[in-house]
Amino acid sequence: PELYQGIDSSRLTILYFGLSGLDLLGELDNISDTQKSEIIEWIYSLQVKPSDNTNIGTARCGFYATDSLPASVDENYGHVAMTYVALCSLLIMGDDLKRVDRDCIMAGLQALQLPNGAFQCSAFGSESDTRFVYCAACICYMLKDWRGLDRTATTNFLLASQSYEGGFAQNVGREAHGGSTFCSLAALHLMGTLETLPDENLAKIREWCLRRQVTGFNGRPNKPVDTCYSFWVGASLSMLNAKQYLNKECNFSFLMTTQDNYIGGFSKWPNQLPDALHSYFGLAGLLLATEDEALHPALNISMRAFRHLECLQS
Amino acid sequence: KQWYQRRVAITAGSERALKLTTDAIDLNTANYTVWHYRREILKALKCDLEDEFRFTAQVIESQPKSYQVWHHRRCLIQMTKDPSRELGLTESTLSDDAKNYHAWDHRQWVLEQYGLWDGEFDYIEMLLQRDLRNNSAWNHRYFVVNSTDKWNHETVKKELEYAAKYIRKAPNNESSWNYANGIIKKNKFSYDEFPEFIDFCIKLDEDKILSPFLYSTLADIYQASGKSKRAHELYEKLKECDSIREKYWIYKQNLL
Repeated sequence: PELYQGIDSSRLTILYFGLSGLDLLGELDNISDTQKSEIIEWIYSLQVKPSDNTNIGTARCGFYATDSLPASVDENYGHVAMTYVALCSLLIMGDDLKRVDRDCIMAGLQALQLPNGAFQCSAFGSESDTRFVYCAACICYMLKDWRGLDRTATTNFLLASQSYEGGFAQNVGREAHGGSTFCSLAALHLMGTLETLPDENLAKIREWCLRRQVTGFNGRPNKPVDTCYSFWVGASLSMLNAKQYLNKECNFSFLMTTQDNYIGGFSKWPNQLPDALHSYFGLAGLLLATEDEALHPALNISMRAFRHLECLQS
Repeated sequence: KQWYQRRVAITAGSERALKLTTDAIDLNTANYTVWHYRREILKALKCDLEDEFRFTAQVIESQPKSYQVWHHRRCLIQMTKDPSRELGLTESTLSDDAKNYHAWDHRQWVLEQYGLWDGEFDYIEMLLQRDLRNNSAWNHRYFVVNSTDKWNHETVKKELEYAAKYIRKAPNNESSWNYANGIIKKNKFSYDEFPEFIDFCIKLDEDKILSPFLYSTLADIYQASGKSKRAHELYEKLKECDSIREKYWIYKQNLL
């Protein structure tokens, strides 16, 4: 649709929001087996593969966002966030990940990590911050292959990005933020280093996160609440074993006010147009607030999809 | 899709290709591939980048939250080694939205790279006079002190006095309290090394100032000095006045 044209460069993420959203609602059966196969085929068609041109190598490998460009290293570059949502979407569809070229994905990730431990999103060069560290950690975790990421360098970068407030920023010295706090905690959790942080530090992070609750949650002190932070901060508190200290009723009430009663979906604030991102995160936030074991807080997929992953890994 | 097919057909390094990227950016500012092509074309054409700085500033004005345009701007500075426009640009963006994360990130990057620290404290002061709840400005203050000075006892004491000034103006402002508590803890000091700050907090409480941030700070101070009973009383107050976090304050109380 024309209004969504601007999002073509993140098209795969819209698929992920849709699939994971349906999964969380328990409505995946609405997708027929034929459709599932078609979806899986489409996702794999976005895997950027090496060509015979050996000069280019594997640094550009990964998944791309959309089929507007051919998925070959000659003409295109993988994007770490698209690789993350591609793997999530495949898992949700019940795929066995056998057609994922692990060596290439790992080589693609290695090409993206900077000396300070941060990640860029794509081999042509981009900004580097905790968002892409998160994606890289998820990819390694899902493929059970940590060649793509230097765990020490990554941990050091994340800890250096923790601000004086206790929350985590996108980069060293930047402002603590709910989204980057989620990304950092999830990456540490998936790498197995979150539990090794000193108690005093964990307590500080916990309190900063709990202070984000106003009715719903905001992402920084003195900023307005926004639907999606119910997920970013809710999931952070879940990983910190502190979900029980947030006020479920207030969070739930706020989320209900951002729901669109005509079209469905959620927006960032009440009485705004809903969009795919806030609808998905509103749903995820609701689930975190109401049900204990429905959503994997670090990977952001249903526990059902996570159990499928565990099955594949064993 | 048609655009991509045409792009592939055109040799990179032509004015027409550059114009195509301008159109494509107009259709979708978030298309990182197009921005990448644009940089390749600019390098191939060996353009004078003055126009490109102007173009980027226009895109920033209409799409101030696009990661791609800000990254493009950073690339231009790296290509030209010219940061002269950036403090003005970020100041302009921040005058529309004083908490724009991208603008702050860009400003801090320029400051780190080029050491243009003169006048930065005045800028922060101006922003806080305008809105003392601007958390980004407080974070920026930490950043500037951290980059230009050492966090020794004298610095922390001075910064605590600065924070106290603003706490008195608005005792219920999370940002100023986070700054005060943060500079002590992040730099591995303890509260008892700053008796003036402790006295300041006690005085606020005696003046019956109602602030959950005051109470939790005092509770921490009392707990650290073994005064569990006083801390316990403060958690009782917190359960009342910050009831949304009641379960958390009960938990903290039980830890005593």
